[in-house]
Amino acid sequence: MTVELQHPMKADATPDEIARGRFTSGIRSLILNDLAADMRSAYERRAAPAFKKEHGHEPKTSREAHLALRGDPAFNIYSAMRVQAQKMVWASVADSVEREADRLAEEARTAEGAPGSLTLSPDLHVPKNVNAIDVHLMPGSYTRGEDSLEAGAVYDRGLAVFSMGLMGANLDDIGLSMSQYIKQRFPAFAPTRILDTGCTIGHNTLPWKQAYPDAEVIAIDAAPGPLAYGSARAKMQGQEVHFQQMCADELAFEDESFDVVWSSMFLHELSKKQRARAFEEAYRVLKPGGLVIHMELPPNEQMGAFDGFYLDWDSYYNNEPYYKGYRDEVPADLCARAGFGADEFFEFVVPSVGIYGAEAVAEAAKGDRAEGVGQETTGRLAEGVMWYGFGAFKK
Amino acid sequence: MSEERLRPEDAPPSLYDDQGNPRFFADPSMDRFVAVVMNLAQEVWVQEERLLALEAEKTGQAVDPEAKVKEFIDRVFAPIREA
Repeated sequence: MTVELQHPMKADATPDEIARGRFTSGIRSLILNDLAADMRSAYERRAAPAFKKEHGHEPKTSREAHLALRGDPAFNIYSAMRVQAQKMVWASVADSVEREADRLAEEARTAEGAPGSLTLSPDLHVPKNVNAIDVHLMPGSYTRGEDSLEAGAVYDRGLAVFSMGLMGANLDDIGLSMSQYIKQRFPAFAPTRILDTGCTIGHNTLPWKQAYPDAEVIAIDAAPGPLAYGSARAKMQGQEVHFQQMCADELAFEDESFDVVWSSMFLHELSKKQRARAFEEAYRVLKPGGLVIHMELPPNEQMGAFDGFYLDWDSYYNNEPYYKGYRDEVPADLCARAGFGADEFFEFVVPSVGIYGAEAVAEAAKGDRAEGVGQETTGRLAEGVMWYGFGAFKK
Repeated sequence: MSEERLRPEDAPPSLYDDQGNPRFFADPSMDRFVAVVMNLAQEVWVQEERLLALEAEKTGQAVDPEAKVKEFIDRVFAPIREA
């Protein structure tokens, strides 16, 4: 299903556009649930045994699972349809965004006086991973329309189609699930200043303001348009968030000035060098006792070959060039190299609050380990999704 | 937008056509044909929703379009489940 956005910048879509969005969500559901299951079956019945016959062992890694699957009919149809469905996501919302550009700008102007702020830095060099390719096949990527509302509107409306309802009505299920998990797992932790890095339109920023309403919340991203849209979007929802154009690997904040540095689905957008630098910067700006916390895809080291490749697929076919490189890294090592103590690291799996309910999140917060990192539902946007996270406190 | 290609380090060029698009089938035209079939199915569904709206207006009984689109997609794409 396609969700209806919960703010005044939601699309005033025509019946045909609504039908196209509904079809696109539906076909994605078929691909990501049914065809994915068919591909797993084909892998076990045909691809892996054929690989073993040729190489003397079953695929051991994501890369070997990829080699085994290339050319298999189930892989071919899954992949070709998934690529086209991804293009249909963005196409299904492009017309309404273009048609409603003036209305969107007017809605944003109406909200201007609400608490919160937007600070753009026109001289900032936007890195190539943000604007040199059409990230996840989104035409024009995050810099489409420069600092206008266009990129943010395409992303917001596209995500509503893309997510098939699995990210919640406000596309904030990840932020809600993770912030509630942290709040319940560490009830004495009371952050007063929270930073979201790589926030795009701030959809997973807002839950942190809801979880800790007294905290000052700052959200940064390198792309100006999504920030402008996100700022208006937050104001319309009565959430005071301060959006600033900035790169996570070069933070313009003082040392020891934040209690939380958070990101969601962001680390895989960075090169290995940028990612290491972002962790160093997070460590630098965190106060002693502060928490770095990331929601991301689970790492390859904890997954079997097929499940690892299933997630790495995007790296090869969905214009996510750093996806696999990120997933090949070890989260504990990323934290340790930046200065976080090894014994301060933790990782976990949070049930989607929208699917499983608040009680399931509370139950998960009672545990202290990450049961189920490698299970099929973790990190996969499909029925029963659960979110993987990791973090560390700074001593 | 530049034409720069960022790819995973271990991605062989054979995964893509000469325009950088992913290719999966031995005959590259099949990749395009899959996209055509999906676009066509989408347009048929658009017409189906129009009909459902008209019928609902006529009968006063609305149907759940989410359930209908699932039925439609399952029916149309049933043959690929045999892959």
